[in-house]
Order: sequence, then C-alpha cells, then structure tokens
Amino acid sequence: MSADSSYPTASSTATSGGRAAESRAERFARELRDLKVSDPSDGHPRLWQRVGAVLMVLGIVVGVAAYLLSHRTSSSLTQGDAITIGLGGVTLAVVGSAIFLRYSLTGFLRFWMARQSFEMNILAERFMSGTNGAVPVPRDPARNYTRNDS
Amino acid sequence: MSKALLEMRGVRSAYDGVNVLHGVDLAVRAGQTVALLGPNGAGKTTTLRVAAGVQPISSGRLVLAGRDVTGARSLDLARSGVCLIPEGRGIFPNLSIRDNLWMMTFTGRSRGEIEEIAFSRFPVLGKNASRAAGTLSGGEQQMLALARGLATDPAVLLLDELSMGLAPVVVGRLYEQVAQIASDGVAVLVVEQFATAALAIANHVAVLVRGEVAAQGPPEALRTHLSDLYLGSSR
Repeated sequence: MSADSSYPTASSTATSGGRAAESRAERFARELRDLKVSDPSDGHPRLWQRVGAVLMVLGIVVGVAAYLLSHRTSSSLTQGDAITIGLGGVTLAVVGSAIFLRYSLTGFLRFWMARQSFEMNILAERFMSGTNGAVPVPRDPARNYTRNDS
Repeated sequence: MSKALLEMRGVRSAYDGVNVLHGVDLAVRAGQTVALLGPNGAGKTTTLRVAAGVQPISSGRLVLAGRDVTGARSLDLARSGVCLIPEGRGIFPNLSIRDNLWMMTFTGRSRGEIEEIAFSRFPVLGKNASRAAGTLSGGEQQMLALARGLATDPAVLLLDELSMGLAPVVVGRLYEQVAQIASDGVAVLVVEQFATAALAIANHVAVLVRGEVAAQGPPEALRTHLSDLYLGSSR
C-alpha cells in the first residue's frame, strides 16, 4: 500500500496555510494516507461462526466424556479430574455458543434490516400508486367523528 | 491538470465465481464528471460497487488519491469521503426528510450543518422537512438521496442510475445539481442508461460493454458512436 508522493503532504499543506486552507481533494489524500487498509476480512465472520460451532460441539463432547469418565471409576482423584474436564467442556460450549451466536446473529440482523427496508420501499410505492401522489390528511383526534360526518 | 482522485487499474471482479468485470481501467479527477454508459448487464453498477469498496476485487488495483486501497473496507472508504448513491435511492420511506438527513450525523456533522447543506441546495426539501420520505415524488426522493450524499462531504461521488423512473425535465434539473457538485471539486462518476442526460454534463465518457471499457473519451467524440458501441458495429 503506497502513497503517491505527488499529492501534498500534511506538512506541505500546513506551510501553505494550514489544514483550514486544504482543498477537499487534499484532505481526501491526507485521510487516505492515514487510513489503515486492513485485509478484506470477507471470510472472517464465516470462519468465526464455524469456530464457534466447532467449540460448541467440542465442549458438549468433552462434557459428556467427562461424565462417562467419572462414572467408570470409583477413584475420587479421577472423578476430580473428570469434574475439571467437564467444567472445561462447559466453558468451551458456552464460549463457542457465544461466538456462534455473535456471528450468526450479525448476518441474520443485517439480512433482516435489508428486508425491512426493502418491504418499506414496496409499501411506500404501493401507497403512492394508491393515492396517486396525494398525501392523506390525518384525522383530528379532538374532533368527534360520527356516521353522519361527510 | 489535477491528479485522479479515483483510479481503477485492470480491475476484475466476480459474483460467485462468475466474472463480471474483465480488467476495467478508469480514472476520475477532482472536479471532473465521468459518465459510465453501457447496455444492461455490462457491469456498470458492479464498477461503482468496486469503487465504493462494497464489491471485492479479484485482481487489479483500486487507487484513491494516489493511495492503493485495494481490499479496504467500504466503511473506511465512506468515512474518508467516497459516497455511493445506489440505484433506487436507498432512503428510508417511513422516516421524514429530516430524519433521513439526520442519519448522516455519523459523519460527525451536526444536525444543523447537515440541514444547512441539504436545504440550501434543495430548498424544496426544507419546505417539506417533516414529510415522510415515501410520500415525496421520485425527483424529490432523488434530491433527498443526493442531499444525504452531500452531507457526508464527499470527495468522490458515485451515482447509480440517477434518472431511474423520473421525467426527463426532472432528470435535467438533477444533473444540473450534479454539475454544480462537481464544480466544487468533487470527482463524480455517474452510471447512467439515459445517455443524453449524462452526456450533457460529463467531461469524460467511458462505455462499458461486457465488463470491459470498450471506448472512452470526451462526450463529443463518443456521442455519434454510442449506438455502435451498445449494439455492435453494423459493418
């Protein structure tokens, strides 16, 4: 990621009257120079969602395995280990569920919001075609409307 | 002549593995209006989406004000001053004009400043500030979309199908505003199917055919060849 040296630097703009005198193009160039271009993390949410799901399943498996381990022994020491492993499994499952929910909910909410916006647009278009562009006058709540009102 | 604020160098992009852009080269300078024309499915909207950082690039570079920003998040580009006004306006029909404008306070500008920018350029919006955006005419909705874009203080303005569903007179008025915006030093890239309107204000025209820039140059030079470029040469 390289910045073109032919664009004015922050110091050059400062000497020519400061940032207040900057044109929008110069300010744009300066802001872009400061911009940290991160990796296009397109696949990251999906990766985290998968990691969350795997941790969740792994946690449950570890928990069940710890339960079985504690059942197959009468040694209190081994049972203590099983409890520790079981708690680890539960922690894994909780953390995994949280990660999974965080990334799956984000995707769902984004989709939901886009859908809401889309449906609102359709409703507005229907409304406009129905009223032929005229805006309905809201009813006056203070007035007592009766059947004979025209 | 000023340097390009927006440059696309050999940009390729695909949807689910299907290539849509096959090496697009394009540059827009500060104060310049570039019209991107072409038939349906040529990749015009995708080009805008790439420029806004919304659509990932398979290969090639996206350069803004000399800085290679290929792969940058659209949010970062928007904060820096790249503004995309999508086809269909993208306004909230159930909110009032004022509420729609207030959405742009995320840029750090106050409500008053945003209203000042919007209402000074589009007085009709000021007169109807409390009206629901969905009850406005198509032209007024497009004005609102433009006003919201301007509220972000854009350095690069990307307009997708400004004329969609509007009467030619309204389109003419909107393009006058676009020309004024460009004259303030904003780099404007307009995607348009209504070629005559875009040609009237553009300093430079690029014709996109099947994901490639088939021709570009000044509007006078391309005006007579447009039908050949759209439909293929009859010779």
